[in-house]
Amino acid sequence: MENKAATKSATPSHGDEHAHGHGPGRYFVIWFILLGFTALTVWTGHMDLGAANLPIAITIATIKATLVVLFFMHLSEAHGSNRLVFVVSIIFVVVMMLGVFGDLLTRNPMSLPSGAPSFDVSPESHMAPHE
Amino acid sequence: MSQSDDKQPIFPAVHYLNADRGVWSWLTTIDHKRIGIMYFVSVLLAFLLGGIFAMLLRIEHLTPEPTIMGANTYNRMFTLHGVVMIFMFMIPAIPGVFGNFLLPLMLGAKDVAFPKLNLLSLYLYWIGATLAASGMIMGGTDTGWTFYAPYSTSTPTTLFPVLLGVFIMGFSSIVTGLNFIVTIHTLRAPGMGWMRIPLFVWAIYATSIIQVLATPVIGLTVMLVGIEKVGHFGLFDPTRGGDPVLFQHMFWFYSHPAVYIMVLPAMGVISEVIGAFSRKNIFGYKMIAYSSLGIAFVGFFAWGHHMFVSGQSVLDNGAFAAISMLVGVFTAIKVFNWVATLYKGSIAVKTPMLYACGFLFFIVFGGMTGIAVATVSLDVHWHDTYFVVAHFHFIMVGAVIMAFLAAMHYWFPKMFGRNYHEGWGMVAASFIILGFNATFIPQFLVGNAGMPRRYFIYPERFTSLNVASTAGSSLLAFGFVIIVVYMIYALVRGPIAGDNPWASRGYEWDTASPPPKENFDHDVVIERDAHSYQQPGEEVEHVVI
Amino acid sequence: MSSSEAHAIDPHEEHAHNPHLAHHFDTIEKQDHAIRLGMWLFLGTEVLLFAGLFLGYTVYRHFYHHTWHEASRTLDLGLGALNTVVLITSSFTVAMAYYFIKKGKAGPCAAMLVVTIMFALVFLVVKSIEYRHKFQEGALPGQFYHFREVPGPGANLFYTVYFLATGLHAFHVIVGMSILIWVLVRVLKGHFSPSYYIPVELGGLYWHLVDLVWIFLFPLLYLI
Repeated sequence: MENKAATKSATPSHGDEHAHGHGPGRYFVIWFILLGFTALTVWTGHMDLGAANLPIAITIATIKATLVVLFFMHLSEAHGSNRLVFVVSIIFVVVMMLGVFGDLLTRNPMSLPSGAPSFDVSPESHMAPHE
Repeated sequence: MSQSDDKQPIFPAVHYLNADRGVWSWLTTIDHKRIGIMYFVSVLLAFLLGGIFAMLLRIEHLTPEPTIMGANTYNRMFTLHGVVMIFMFMIPAIPGVFGNFLLPLMLGAKDVAFPKLNLLSLYLYWIGATLAASGMIMGGTDTGWTFYAPYSTSTPTTLFPVLLGVFIMGFSSIVTGLNFIVTIHTLRAPGMGWMRIPLFVWAIYATSIIQVLATPVIGLTVMLVGIEKVGHFGLFDPTRGGDPVLFQHMFWFYSHPAVYIMVLPAMGVISEVIGAFSRKNIFGYKMIAYSSLGIAFVGFFAWGHHMFVSGQSVLDNGAFAAISMLVGVFTAIKVFNWVATLYKGSIAVKTPMLYACGFLFFIVFGGMTGIAVATVSLDVHWHDTYFVVAHFHFIMVGAVIMAFLAAMHYWFPKMFGRNYHEGWGMVAASFIILGFNATFIPQFLVGNAGMPRRYFIYPERFTSLNVASTAGSSLLAFGFVIIVVYMIYALVRGPIAGDNPWASRGYEWDTASPPPKENFDHDVVIERDAHSYQQPGEEVEHVVI
Repeated sequence: MSSSEAHAIDPHEEHAHNPHLAHHFDTIEKQDHAIRLGMWLFLGTEVLLFAGLFLGYTVYRHFYHHTWHEASRTLDLGLGALNTVVLITSSFTVAMAYYFIKKGKAGPCAAMLVVTIMFALVFLVVKSIEYRHKFQEGALPGQFYHFREVPGPGANLFYTVYFLATGLHAFHVIVGMSILIWVLVRVLKGHFSPSYYIPVELGGLYWHLVDLVWIFLFPLLYLI
């Protein structure tokens, strides 16, 4: 069994690191921070900040999500491959959004529901950017 | 077939096929090789079904008026041809059959990372395929395999079993991909760094990434179509404020990467076959490996080229066109490296090599027509014509099925311990390659002349080309029939192959044919590079195999 | 034998001593790494699954900005915020459960799991209250929409996206709860120890994903 104990400390094992590593305190801290950001987002959500409302809400949500992923889900201590998987997933979601959103913003107004905002960049269109 | 060594080829007494007996041992197996064989039988049945639909479509197109079916039947026929071929054959075939069988062998491992999940993926495939097939028996759907809203959300035909079948087969695909990625990361034998894994494994790795990340989107999309059909929530319905183009975005976000799920494993097979049958180190191993990842990655950004005439914005049209052409660069890198491998190699003219050469021709031709249809101004003319149909059949049938057949012939001795008859192999390959050209080149011509796809009738002036295409398809079908005959014969009475009849340097050949249940009878340590036939500076060895 | 390992441990010996080590893995470390990687890949698929609904949200919010702003006001912000706090706290408690089992404290671990499951139930109850309000008001998806207070094009689509997104999320809450109940049963039966606790870890990871999705759903649905 001596051999096995030697093995466990020789090769990195998450269980051993944590058992001798940080205490539960960091979970409490993250929890309070998350609650704080929740209060912040509810407060700023109520205010009328015009076009800034959405980016602020997304930013706060992203910060909260990052905290959960890094500390509650331990991605800050995980193998590189796990981190890569998560990051690549997010990248593809962003690509999906960008591709579709780019379409929405620049479509010919005839292909959009009435009243939808558009900014038609096609050369033959005579329509000025409008809301 | 002569051996590279002087010993008589040995057929092992105990191997994975006879290690456990009885149907139950097969249905509850966690042996990746048995799972691969069960996938093999299943996808061949699916191919037969899809092929029957194809033949019926071609027979219908012998005359400009209805020949053997009316409009509604025709619509169901091409839908089911597409659904069966894509979801039941193309997507699971090479990964499910050869990926499953070979991945652990090529890595020097005893099994995949999650053997029970592997069995689950097979069962999910069976359940999904049965559901979709039952939908066909109930009359089938007529939306096309692309299920475009708002027609799909309002068609009176049997949609739910097909949608549910596709959804479940999607899960099978995700589970397989997940399993393979983890296997490649964690079960490589000692001595096998990333730059020593075989190129087929690189291809499967790239494919698995797409399977894992793209398939959930189609899962959600078909789920939404089903919900829309029942609930009329307005998601894709313009009369309720919805956007039908949104459906197309979501659908193609998966379905374009899906075509790379189909073609990447095929490219991996070709790397293996070209290396073995030119007896030369692969030229540009790293470039081929990285280009697989490149195709997987960039393939996610190109989906809008299916939507050039959908009402999508001009800006997006241009962006998607440019990105789509980038994928061609990665494919070209591979083609140049393969050709450079062949150059001054000791070429063995055997059936797998014949299919590999067919593959090279078809991927170049099909790939270049892909670049052509990626050009927005040209695609406005070609969209929804037979030109596009011919383009994707060149890749899906011409390239991928050539690779599937190459794989089948190359690894048949490994899987079953026997050799097939080489002469008949060449005859069948000739029929298939010639028949394929005869089927689909007329379709380029007739599509460019304006014949639309998915129409049950066509203008009279297109008749001769359609007849030519149908004649070609019979040659193609005949070639497949020949293969079935000599392969079954080989299974039962073929000459014993021995461990390594091709004298290949692939790691999977370092064990008996058929392999034992545990894959290797020794602890595997990798001491050579993948596909290595010569030391640097050494001459190519001319060996008769 | 295994030339890549720095020590001279015999894999056969490790298989003999560790009942959790599968035959095709050399060491428990490799196996654990494989299991975690598999789990993260699965979480990746869940992210992509919800992404489609977030995409629908993005599209229709862009089209119908003003109507959606009004429709969002009809959601009960108090209940939504409560649910957010509930899920965040449940993420905290499940992280604590994982912390305790790594130290071998099965009792506190089980307690934390029970609290997490309770919070999940609270979430579902609050959600069903909200749903009932919407049914009564007539703020329903698509063809069922008859909510007079928010007329205009696109309003029904807000509720379509709302019900689809929160519905799919609630389904995942139920699945996550079931997983945690199963893990709890195994904790109570003493299956886990500081050298084997990976099912607790995986159950926790799935639960955190459920929380992550809600962290984005909440502001996007209630606060725009």
